[in-house]
Amino acid sequence: MLGVALVLDFTLEDLVPDSSIRQLMTLAACNVVVALSLNVINGMAGQFSIGHAGFMGIGGYTSAVVASHVHHMLGGGEPTFSRSFVVVPISLLCSAALAGLFGFLVGLPSLRLRGDYLAIVTLGFAEIFRLVIATAQSDEDGDVFTRLISRLGGQNGYQGIDNQGVPLYAGPFWVFGLAFILGVVAWRIKFSGWGRALRALREDEIAAAAVGVDPTRYKVTSFVIAAVGAGIAGGLMAIMRDGTPLVNPDNYNFQASFDAITMVILGGSGSVTGSALGGVFITFTIKAIEQVQALDFIQELRTQFPTLDLNALRMIVYAIVLVLLMAWRPEGLLGERELFQRRKRNEGGDDTGTGTEAEPAASGKAVKA
Amino acid sequence: MRVAHPTRAKIEVEDGKPLLELEVVKVSYGGIKALKGISLRVMPGEIVAMIGANGAGKTTTLKTVMGLLRLAGGTIRFAGRSLEGQSTEARVEAGISLVPEGRAIFPNLTVRENLELGAYLHRDAKAMKETIEDVTALFPRLGERMKQEGGTLSGGEQQMLAIGRALMSRPALLLLDEPSLGIAPKLVHQIFAAITEIAKSGVTILLVEQNTRIALATSKRAYVLRSGEIALEGDSKELAHDPEIKAAYLGG
Repeated sequence: MLGVALVLDFTLEDLVPDSSIRQLMTLAACNVVVALSLNVINGMAGQFSIGHAGFMGIGGYTSAVVASHVHHMLGGGEPTFSRSFVVVPISLLCSAALAGLFGFLVGLPSLRLRGDYLAIVTLGFAEIFRLVIATAQSDEDGDVFTRLISRLGGQNGYQGIDNQGVPLYAGPFWVFGLAFILGVVAWRIKFSGWGRALRALREDEIAAAAVGVDPTRYKVTSFVIAAVGAGIAGGLMAIMRDGTPLVNPDNYNFQASFDAITMVILGGSGSVTGSALGGVFITFTIKAIEQVQALDFIQELRTQFPTLDLNALRMIVYAIVLVLLMAWRPEGLLGERELFQRRKRNEGGDDTGTGTEAEPAASGKAVKA
Repeated sequence: MRVAHPTRAKIEVEDGKPLLELEVVKVSYGGIKALKGISLRVMPGEIVAMIGANGAGKTTTLKTVMGLLRLAGGTIRFAGRSLEGQSTEARVEAGISLVPEGRAIFPNLTVRENLELGAYLHRDAKAMKETIEDVTALFPRLGERMKQEGGTLSGGEQQMLAIGRALMSRPALLLLDEPSLGIAPKLVHQIFAAITEIAKSGVTILLVEQNTRIALATSKRAYVLRSGEIALEGDSKELAHDPEIKAAYLGG
């Protein structure tokens, strides 16, 4: 799989000459990581975070800044593939670490708050983050903190050192490779003892505590893990080749958090493969809606009704898709199930032999990918 | 049924000393006093029942022993050692296990996953395998449904699963909260037969029940709780013939 990603790194431009489609593919891979990470909080832990974009933003800004500086130190020039092995890991590790730290801080209130109250805290965090960066003015007389923040470019976004732009090091190799690796990690987490304890906590906190699961530790850790994932995803998007080369506050608004939630809910809360599917689906749906906007028919409507807001139209279509889906499949496309899940998981042959009557396989697939 | 977990230090209780002892235990919810000073003892190997009406403080007592509620006064001792300041995890580790009220299983996890979670603090693969064997020997229905999700089981089976899960840590003391709640009468008898079986293998049991008749028939001694205080205590057989108990809890 990593080999495939490596080959894609060099051949994707020939295979897919349309850069907007290339951008869409890599963006989809990043969104898969976003959805997988949010799934840890919203799906597995059963908490409700609506501020995931905040963690993505922290990851995005961190990796953009770190990548720019490392690139500068290496002497500038064109980003090369061999150099990406220095720049990308350093940038993404910094993103993950900083996002994880904020995940810890935001996770702390989750110990005392439940449901909608916690949701407000996460939303507040994401909005504070966005507004602090968006409203920072370059002010030479300001304190250290203000000056540092204003270097991030305020509302216009971060433009790299001396406005040279952020070096885009993460090619398809990194994007697809990391999405794959993190997917495997998410899968392992779900079926590990840790993931099982987390799911138990979601279903019955008292019962989980009664078997010895420490709710405090698990809730905070789930936030940290989700934040680290979001940080990496945001970091990837910020330095992604074929991506939007601009890291700006509007990329991390409520809409972004909302999209992330949609991916998880639509794909199937708690399902790793479902969330990944949701990530791809939403990325392409948003794009499809944009394509629809470009249709002659719609453009003609626009000339007749100059007040028509196409963005609002996009939201209406998007909302209708969601409402219909939730009406038909309230548990999401996959529910909590997984694609490719083996019906019988033999973990070290611990089968007691009494319960081997396998129920008929509901989904035809019985092989793990 | 194998008791004593290989990864846990042996629990030793001096002769004549209780395994669990509550001394003037007080618990409050906000300003409301739920327990007004309860003292009780459970000797090793005994089945002790706590009976009483709704809101008498039975569940509160169990949750407090488990460390899920904070003590407002008094002492709880397990095997001679005070549990003060010990987390719920530490108490599970020490050998106490709770079967929560109302079939508190994990409905979206499989039966096997539910059981494995019961051994969460004692992740010894061999011991876990053996305990699952013991549990499925005790409740063969669970063995037939290992891969089913917990939520798809019948009420009685869910209660069996909750008990099985609590046994996975191989507790010295099993706390049972209303095992008969909302379960078909036929299954209630099966479950209480299993409880007797568990006690025979050496697990000490503190049982909270609203079904007074079966609780007194199963237990050796019993405490009657009334609005946060112990109103009566004694031998279960004698209590079953006590005119006051008969009138209040056994329907004449």
